[in-house]
Amino acid sequence: MIKIWSMKKEEESAKKKKPKTSPAQLRVQKDLTELELPKTMKTHFADPNDVLNFTLTIEPDEGMYKNGSFTFTFAINTNYPHDPPKVKCTQKIYHPNVDLEGNVCLNILREDWKPVLNLNSIMVGLQYLFLEPNADDPLNKEAAEDLRRDRSVFSSNVKRSLTGGAIKGISYDRVLVK
Amino acid sequence: MKVKLKSFTPVAYWHWDTRDPDDVCGICQNQFDGVCGTCKEPGDGCPLLFGKCTHEFHLHCIMQWLEQHSRKPLCPLCKRPWEEATAEKYQEETAAQQ
Repeated sequence: MIKIWSMKKEEESAKKKKPKTSPAQLRVQKDLTELELPKTMKTHFADPNDVLNFTLTIEPDEGMYKNGSFTFTFAINTNYPHDPPKVKCTQKIYHPNVDLEGNVCLNILREDWKPVLNLNSIMVGLQYLFLEPNADDPLNKEAAEDLRRDRSVFSSNVKRSLTGGAIKGISYDRVLVK
Repeated sequence: MKVKLKSFTPVAYWHWDTRDPDDVCGICQNQFDGVCGTCKEPGDGCPLLFGKCTHEFHLHCIMQWLEQHSRKPLCPLCKRPWEEATAEKYQEETAAQQ
């Protein structure tokens, strides 16, 4: 009898030590197991115990941004999936929908976010931005203007920016695949 | 032959009357017969709310969404205006759809 008591106490203290998983963590865990990423995208968890903060690297295998390697940070708050993840590009890149601070203009990260979407939809959306940059909703107005005016000029600007070149006096990070 | 029943063990189970019993709540991605992320007790402890658009969610999940969008509440799945359906009405509509 006494033994059972002490066993029960041990169990209870073990429970207390283990941090409680929040609803947001549970949901992120589900999203992660359901991820179906193409070989052009990879996630990286700096701290494997922290599923709410990680990075995603996209290496498009077609389109104007081919041969580039783009890394985004994902920061998910405890109100997920009611709040969308905060996604930022860690590099300074030449893209109409990404500003020089790395903020991303993707509808489902802002006004069109709904909790029935998941991490997979965001990642697919991000990859799509590199296949079809969109001049209608720009964060980098110069880049959007270039794209609108002449697609081939824009395309060669992209190629130059990937190697770390400057466009209109702004220098961009070298983001070529190593 | 006379059979004398000495004892019996009744077993019962329940499940929510949803369109697809294997479907999950779009918000928390947990089974409808399970709980939303914050609850421990399924069933009456964590009920469902049915929309007129035929989409259903855990009450706690959809309420949080509706509170955030109280000026213009839409179904997070189909973006039609969110209107609550009574259980009977819901069953009629899903039956009519099939």
